[in-house]
Amino acid sequence: MGDSINCREAHARLHDYLKQELTPELAEEVRAHLEKCRPCFKEARFEQSFLVMLATTSRKTSCPGKLREKILTALRAEMERG
Amino acid sequence: MQPGYILSMAEPTTAGPQFDAEALPHLDALYRVALRLTSDPSQAEDLVQDTMLKAYRAWRQYRPGTNARGWLLTILRNTFINDYRRRKLEPVATDIEAVEPHALYRHVEEVDPEGAFFSQIVDDKVLEAVDALPPDFREVLVLSDMEGMSYGEIAEALHIPVGTVKSRLFRARRQLQTALYQYAVETGIIPARETHHG
Repeated sequence: MGDSINCREAHARLHDYLKQELTPELAEEVRAHLEKCRPCFKEARFEQSFLVMLATTSRKTSCPGKLREKILTALRAEMERG
Repeated sequence: MQPGYILSMAEPTTAGPQFDAEALPHLDALYRVALRLTSDPSQAEDLVQDTMLKAYRAWRQYRPGTNARGWLLTILRNTFINDYRRRKLEPVATDIEAVEPHALYRHVEEVDPEGAFFSQIVDDKVLEAVDALPPDFREVLVLSDMEGMSYGEIAEALHIPVGTVKSRLFRARRQLQTALYQYAVETGIIPARETHHG
């Protein structure tokens, strides 16, 4: 199983693979291709760097404490209103 | 005791502890998405607060234990479109004729095959580049690649087919990569590729 996709097919599914959006069968085909195809593996690593950077950058921002307090106060007022 | 409580014992009118437990953990994600949609911290704060109040009032429509984040983000997004986007006079439609950059990897594989430059760009510049994307592209990129929502969740929240999510994402990623590359070259993070070779 999963031994016969070419570079073009692997490339077309690369982001979906990295985002874990493929079915197990399709993911296995891409994984098997990346294991034996150095150029595609390198491209996957490049795209992975991009996706990891975006997720990491995003996580550094959180809801400011003041806003959280403001929202909780507004919710409490709303709750008391019934 | 609250008046509404007596009238409808079967359906509590207060969201209370369950709302706190299911909705409040998503404040960070809501704030981040609001920041990217509005590109304005004070508008983002208003948008998150409006969203939470609307969610609170509509809490009985939420099925406990289902996707609270998706549900909240749908409210946030609808609120943004109805009450905020108009104020900004931002172009709503995506220009489908816009120049589509080529895949960046082929362009930089000789100077930075691992894409190390991505993480050398300061966060503020990354976020600026995200904010500069066309709104439709920015939205899917933020939800997918910054907040980790699945294509299916995004399709549901935005009321668009999964195929549209994927094609917007494809183009958003390309545009963002190209913008980040240009910044990295301008600031000397990576050398410009030689224009003649072979």
